[in-house]
Amino acid sequence: MDFDWSAADRAYRERIRAFLERELPADWARLSREGPGSKAVTDFSREFCPKLAAEGLLVPHWPAEWGGADRPTWEHFILGEEMWAANEPRGAQYMNVNWIGPTLMRFGSPEQKARYIPPMAQGRAIWCQGFSEPDAGSDLAALRTRAERDGDDYVVNGTKIWTSYAGLADTCFLLARVPGEGGGGKSAIVILLVPMDTPGIEVRPIPSLIGRGDIHETFFSDVRVPASARLGEEGQAWSIISYALANERVGIPRYELGAEVLAETVRQLKAQGRFDDPVVQSRAGAASAACEAARMLVHRVVDQRARGVAPGPESNIARVAVIGAEHAVTDFAADFLPEAFSGDAHPLIQAHHERAIVAGIAAGAAEIQLNLIASRHLNLPRETS
Amino acid sequence: MRYEPNEDQAALFAALERLTASEDARWAVAPGEARCDWSARLDALIEENGFFDAAAEETLGPVAAAETVRRLAALPVLVEASASALLRPALAPDLPRPLAVLPAGPGAVAPFLPLARAVLRIGEAGVEAATLAEGDVETVESLHAYPMGRLAREDLAWTRLEADPAVAADLWRTALAAELAGVLQGGLDAVVAHVTERRQFGRPLGSFQGIQHRLAGAAVKIEGARWLALRAAEARTPADPPEALGYAQRISTEVCYDLHQFMGAMGLTLEHPLHRWTGRARWLRSALGGADAALRLAASRRWGEGAAA
Repeated sequence: MDFDWSAADRAYRERIRAFLERELPADWARLSREGPGSKAVTDFSREFCPKLAAEGLLVPHWPAEWGGADRPTWEHFILGEEMWAANEPRGAQYMNVNWIGPTLMRFGSPEQKARYIPPMAQGRAIWCQGFSEPDAGSDLAALRTRAERDGDDYVVNGTKIWTSYAGLADTCFLLARVPGEGGGGKSAIVILLVPMDTPGIEVRPIPSLIGRGDIHETFFSDVRVPASARLGEEGQAWSIISYALANERVGIPRYELGAEVLAETVRQLKAQGRFDDPVVQSRAGAASAACEAARMLVHRVVDQRARGVAPGPESNIARVAVIGAEHAVTDFAADFLPEAFSGDAHPLIQAHHERAIVAGIAAGAAEIQLNLIASRHLNLPRETS
Repeated sequence: MRYEPNEDQAALFAALERLTASEDARWAVAPGEARCDWSARLDALIEENGFFDAAAEETLGPVAAAETVRRLAALPVLVEASASALLRPALAPDLPRPLAVLPAGPGAVAPFLPLARAVLRIGEAGVEAATLAEGDVETVESLHAYPMGRLAREDLAWTRLEADPAVAADLWRTALAAELAGVLQGGLDAVVAHVTERRQFGRPLGSFQGIQHRLAGAAVKIEGARWLALRAAEARTPADPPEALGYAQRISTEVCYDLHQFMGAMGLTLEHPLHRWTGRARWLRSALGGADAALRLAASRRWGEGAAA
């Protein structure tokens, strides 16, 4: 056991920080307050990500064949930590880097790879994730959007909701169901890679607490998609989704921004002479400890991935710890620096507060994680037994 | 960054597992309605097999010592491990054991004193040790599930050790954090076994989501305490040891509440070991001033004192 970074890892982190220092504009904190799906941040990411790519810092963990450098898992993760600590200047493109690209490399047809992977590696592709539906949220396999076969095409009808980044996306990673005999269940699901300018797609942004352009309703009315846009075979979709999500198991390294916001809150309190209070100090220490516990538990999952160990309940444990840490930090700020939540002097603290609300909901609610920990880590009996 | 034990550490833990699976480590009701049962035999076996020397071995190190403490603390029977595994190798490898660590203040009561052969005290000015003889200690009845005692005389022959008291204090914080993580893990394992077997309303208690979620939440917290304690053993940054201790102390109250809730009336008896873990947690969570003191110290080490930097 050794919980220290190697010299190479430290140097890599420093290199990323120096790049961010150089490339992020002075008003980045205010700009990024708009959220990763906003027009402002999306436009910014289309400038910023190509620069990252030129520096070899966009997809370093991808194979060289696809524009990467075959760098190790830990470097990929350090990159993700530093980007999130800077309030994610890659905008929605972090999804391409983390899971859409790798999933297409593994399951895509030669045409799909050639069409979609290079723009991702160059930092100019925006994707959205057409997963959740009005009646299929935590129970994703209950999705109902229909993809009916008609000759060489699928005709898609249905509604997606909470679709992240749909407003400005070029392409949708869409889950739909092929109706037919015994058409229920996971085996009837297909994945379609759908250009968002295909006729019949309508996107309605949902005003939200979590930044502009983050969540949407997406309507599909007789949307004609060629069968060649299907990722993998019919019946294979669920295993592809499992693979894709395995790449995202611990999700976003949220504790990095949490630790940053905590430090900023402490700086503000100290500047005003309000950090002398032992209650404030104890609560700051508790929030920091929660961030560090989350960091340790997430790193354990990355360590498993780096060693090629199959993902287990450790990722669910990490997710719940991260949610706890997010709330410990934002509760600290809310209790002791309430003025940060009004006006525009503290964009980072405000952005983080709203992201903390999302932390327990996006990518599998906290309660789903607790179910999985109960069954997979504690081996508790199932409800039906 | 490596979470897996190295080869030597893995061998150490495997050997420890064999010892702790033996009859000497098994739960038995203690005579006289005692609240704790120090296992002299297991304690001696652990010592004879060199487990308390791990911290000083290059390929094992303080991390392995902290993990040893954690695993021993998860047992229902008691072994004196925290001071012997973390403090003794660094401060006074020749000191006789079992060891007790005397908290500050006159008339202080400490775990293990009634059976300790030596006592340590860590003050701001220095670290001192004294060997103990018959009559030096009086036993104190306690709700803490340790053999508790206080010094019967103040004029022991204290020897000043050549040790940095700040380093010693951090080692002690790390040891206590690892012990508390282990104590909570032992309690959780016992409760999970109980709710898996115990049926009510025609189904196992552990199949109710209301119980599952709280035990899953407890497991997350305990895992956090475990890895923070192990990292603290590496002494990477000054904030790590108090942060690990404060975190474990802070979670222990709510975790112990849930453990007793789900063990029901069985957990009120002296026939089930749950009280051994929750009784030890009660002392551990108050050690060195408790969670608030530890977390304040961690905060001041991370961000400095109150004034603006």
